[in-house]
Amino acid sequence: MSGDAHARLAAEHEALIQFLYLAPVGLVQTGIDGEIVMINPISAQLLMPLSRDGNLANLFTALQDVAPELRHLCAMFARPSGMICDGLHIHLNSGMPGKRMRVPHVLSLSLVKLDEARLMAVLQDVSEQVRRERQLRQSDAWLNALLTSISDYALVGLDREGRVSCWNETIGRVTGFSPSVVGRPYSVFYPDDATTPDRAHDRLREADDNGWSLEEGPRLRADGSQFWGSAMISPLPDRDPELADDTEPAYCLVLRDIGDKRELIDQRRKSLFSDELTGVANRRAFFEAAELELTRNRRTPRPTALILFDADHFKQINDRHGHPAGDAVLRQLGAALSLTFRQVDVVARVGGEEFAVLLPSSTLAGAAAVAERLRKLVEGQPATFEGKPIAYTVSAGIAAIDGGETLDLDTLIKRADQALYAAKANGRNRVECWSRRADAA
Amino acid sequence: MNAATDLSFTAPGLHGLLAQLSPEQLDRLDFGVIGFDGDTNVSRYNRTESEAAGLTAPRVLGQPLFTNVAPCLNNFMVAQRFEDAQDEGCALDDTIDYVLTLRMRPVKVKLRLLAEPGSAQRYVLVQRKP
Repeated sequence: MSGDAHARLAAEHEALIQFLYLAPVGLVQTGIDGEIVMINPISAQLLMPLSRDGNLANLFTALQDVAPELRHLCAMFARPSGMICDGLHIHLNSGMPGKRMRVPHVLSLSLVKLDEARLMAVLQDVSEQVRRERQLRQSDAWLNALLTSISDYALVGLDREGRVSCWNETIGRVTGFSPSVVGRPYSVFYPDDATTPDRAHDRLREADDNGWSLEEGPRLRADGSQFWGSAMISPLPDRDPELADDTEPAYCLVLRDIGDKRELIDQRRKSLFSDELTGVANRRAFFEAAELELTRNRRTPRPTALILFDADHFKQINDRHGHPAGDAVLRQLGAALSLTFRQVDVVARVGGEEFAVLLPSSTLAGAAAVAERLRKLVEGQPATFEGKPIAYTVSAGIAAIDGGETLDLDTLIKRADQALYAAKANGRNRVECWSRRADAA
Repeated sequence: MNAATDLSFTAPGLHGLLAQLSPEQLDRLDFGVIGFDGDTNVSRYNRTESEAAGLTAPRVLGQPLFTNVAPCLNNFMVAQRFEDAQDEGCALDDTIDYVLTLRMRPVKVKLRLLAEPGSAQRYVLVQRKP
């Protein structure tokens, strides 16, 4: 090659390298097992703060604390090539304001299988988009509630305290309740463990503040049977709070049976908010729910507890019995957690073998009692894989907001994590509660 | 500058020593040197760094470091450290383990971050691990 041609090629190569250096998205090429072959700078910018071992040797390992399902997702992808995930949101932290500016809170990951040996990944910090999207979704839910065709609805007047203020035929038709329901709190339409008095009160305050409050979930008929319903509460307009007496209607509750759309709604919710492997909530759902609960907590102080569970010696389970057996253990642990906690509690998988449970209106002692029940249940009930029992145990750390203290979510998580660390240090298979004394030590 | 002056990656007081080196002397160092000014624009870029990254100095000099030259350092582990030191007017001399993406390969390195109050000049030094 002539000197000129060579120089031209070198300059072109340098320009290409710089093009990749400067691309404002993360690009990674890996082997099918996630081993990194090529990687550009934005990827390192985003991944280095997450990498537990300070390495960027394997993409799945670098993301294991925040996207534990990746390895599984790729393993389950049967086609010879194609898009494994498109813009999967990875939630890194609560994203509460006041944090340092350079800490993103949501990453988007797209993963393409090129062939049996290679993957390409695109990574992006989408924190800002997600914030905007969340606001939009709220309006969407509202429009949905208004515009979607409905099989039937009940129109319920509520007084200032949220008690049913009068009876009409729609109430009888949708819920089966007779006029004797008048005077009872509207939580009478909810299954026992699907709300708390605090939560019921929160929704009235939200309706006051926003003009409406909308929620979907299981609802209860008079005969004890359940249906899937949406409930929209809005304050009645033109009401003089000074003059109104306590039993006069102050809110309107529209209760709709949306059982026929439940499958659709469930599917959408599942794809966005649940953990692929265990079916419990994912990090995204957890952070959203926890943030909302703490906002409510600040407005109307009440106890709120957080439990972090971690499967003990999980790496040994994987090493001894293989990853599929480890997955079976996680699935069983997820199921045990879902069974043990209330519907109003949020059970989420937040790390590889780490689960979090948020308990609205629950004290530290109350949470500790349930955590202990779960610990015993797991100890006494080995997981099964291919017909063989696999015994395992869990450790738990608990922290709570109580006595009017205001805590942000990151602090609450940090405290629960310290308690979990103490449970591990004190021999595992145990439950520890955070205490100020331990923090000072 | 006499021959006995310690100019190794770990040498104490390196911030002051680097300021006195000519570009040719910087090029002779066996670790990468990226110097940048108060506005984060790259002002010094030595041969070791240029060869490892595959970029010649003209493409880099005068460019903002954290967005146009080394976006991989634009997080709380590196960029934020320099910002904090600048805001608080204090010195920064810390060595951290890091992974750079030199020519799109992940390369384990040690980074030494240097800033001195009263000097706009700051440095990221890069030593590839054996």
